[in-house]
Amino acid sequence: MDLALFLQILVNGLMSGGMYCLVASGFTLILGVIQVFNMAQGHFYMLGAYLTFAVSVSMGLPYPVAILVALASMAILGVLFHWGVIQWTMPHGFFHMMLVTIAFGTIISQASLLSFGYNEQVVPAVIPRTLEFGEITLNPGKLLVIAGAIIVMVALYYFMKTKTGTAMKAAAENREVAGLQGINAKRIFWVTMAVGSGLCGIAGALIVPILSATTVMGSNIFIRAMLVVLVGGTGSMSGALLAAFLVGIMESFAFQYLGQLNILAIFVVVAILVFFRPGGLMGKPLPMPGQ
Amino acid sequence: MSKPIKIGLLAVMVIVLVILPHLVNPYTVQVLITTITYSMLGLAFGFSLKVGLPRFDIAAWWGVGGYATALLMLKAHMNFWPTVLIGGIIAMVLGFLIFIIAVPRGMMVFLMFGMVVAMAIQQIFGSVKFFGGWSGTGLVPRPTIFSHTIAGKPELYYLGLFFLVVNLLVYYFLYNSKIGRAWNAIGSSLRLAGSVGIDIVRYRMANVLIGNFFLAVAGSYYIAFSLSAAPTSFSFSASIFVMMYIVVGGIAHSLSGPLLGALILTFIPEYLRVAKEYEPIITAVITILIIIFLPAGILGWIDQKAKPWFARLGKGRKTEQGVPA
Repeated sequence: MDLALFLQILVNGLMSGGMYCLVASGFTLILGVIQVFNMAQGHFYMLGAYLTFAVSVSMGLPYPVAILVALASMAILGVLFHWGVIQWTMPHGFFHMMLVTIAFGTIISQASLLSFGYNEQVVPAVIPRTLEFGEITLNPGKLLVIAGAIIVMVALYYFMKTKTGTAMKAAAENREVAGLQGINAKRIFWVTMAVGSGLCGIAGALIVPILSATTVMGSNIFIRAMLVVLVGGTGSMSGALLAAFLVGIMESFAFQYLGQLNILAIFVVVAILVFFRPGGLMGKPLPMPGQ
Repeated sequence: MSKPIKIGLLAVMVIVLVILPHLVNPYTVQVLITTITYSMLGLAFGFSLKVGLPRFDIAAWWGVGGYATALLMLKAHMNFWPTVLIGGIIAMVLGFLIFIIAVPRGMMVFLMFGMVVAMAIQQIFGSVKFFGGWSGTGLVPRPTIFSHTIAGKPELYYLGLFFLVVNLLVYYFLYNSKIGRAWNAIGSSLRLAGSVGIDIVRYRMANVLIGNFFLAVAGSYYIAFSLSAAPTSFSFSASIFVMMYIVVGGIAHSLSGPLLGALILTFIPEYLRVAKEYEPIITAVITILIIIFLPAGILGWIDQKAKPWFARLGKGRKTEQGVPA
């Protein structure tokens, strides 16, 4: 394999890894803190992409504004979803909460299908030319996505260091003890939902100039997020980070040789990893409902 | 309920189910056939929920059974009936190889693993040439029984009813056997079940594999009326919808819950006569409302509210004076 091809595959892998990282860390955050298996996570990502299209192409506003709109509106939608639906099903247990997220995801995907249609919606590239270093050509848009994902992850890292972030971690560890320390669990749930959904919104907004918005992108990324969480361990943020880039790069290289069957290769690797490290890459995961 | 009333109700139900396809129009029979298929999928979901494992790989094993029947009938020119059995066995063997990794790791890993399996198997059906690609296999010949071809809608309905009844009976006897009691124990508390000497992993494995077998049977039945296997029919969303059936019907009723849920969620959108695009939205809204207001499902609501009410009605003043019903 020559260097140019290798670099291109690597950039693709890092780019998808960044996306998986954002979606999976939002997912694992919500799973850890609220103990909701949020099946609508991928749909929030898809809606973020569609919103970016609507704002930047249909309304003609600049792309950074579209990113902010996607981030803010997904965060608000997440809070509304928690306020209107999830908190009422909390007393009924894990399966019921999971099922309402499925139903909510169905509503989102069908509503966006009705309003945007089956055709993919294309957002023009942010930087419409390629970078060339001798024989190596790279798409600067992809590098921008990687940079964006890294910036968001760093921001998330520092957010988790703040008082609110620490409270979230405490609530994930033990809800009752956290309550005894004066942590308002209800408020923490809202913040978690906003952060988790906002991460998806921003991921969708970042990726849409590269991959155009389609209705299947939600379920596609959700399966990858599942792989990431399996490898990284449920409830582990640093595990998700590492696993996301691992899965992304692996997928990108496997695609080069296996085409659409790359999911099979990843599946085998994930199965081996789960077999030998059941707690995830980073060790022991958080306790989860109903082992 | 006393025993004669129960037997009488059962007899009435059997008669209604047998003469039903001759009373309604062919379109409704088609919807009933779909309902039977989805009921079998829902039963498998409720079956594994008994041991605390929610499964999202339903469409995968459903597809394995479907593809086994379709390919064996097309390429090996086999009769329909042995392919049902072979499909079931393939689903059990493949399932064993895959779940030997996931089942010992607990519920959360099993759940996510199942989703990935569903996705991977669908991708294999679509991408590998042997399975016919994304457009599906060719036209599969109709199933026959003693040189009689099962073609009409009522006949296909009876075929489905046969599979469904066999499925129900097997599950019923398993639930009421020693194995079923062990499953119940695992479902209510893992630690307690372990402490009385139940091998959790083996019992869970047995449960999941039996579920796999009947999912594959449902897949073979699907081929009998759709006559072609395509990867898109066994999609991930099919696995997801199955969960709605059991929660709407009643999560504590592993046999009757999925049947009622599948019936309701298949027929309501059909009879609301709305555009096809709005159907999933309506189903989803109904599901959310049912979960919020009737968390035990419709059958659970009947148990908790309607039955005590009828009991009070029957006994008159007795219960009002404080005699517990």
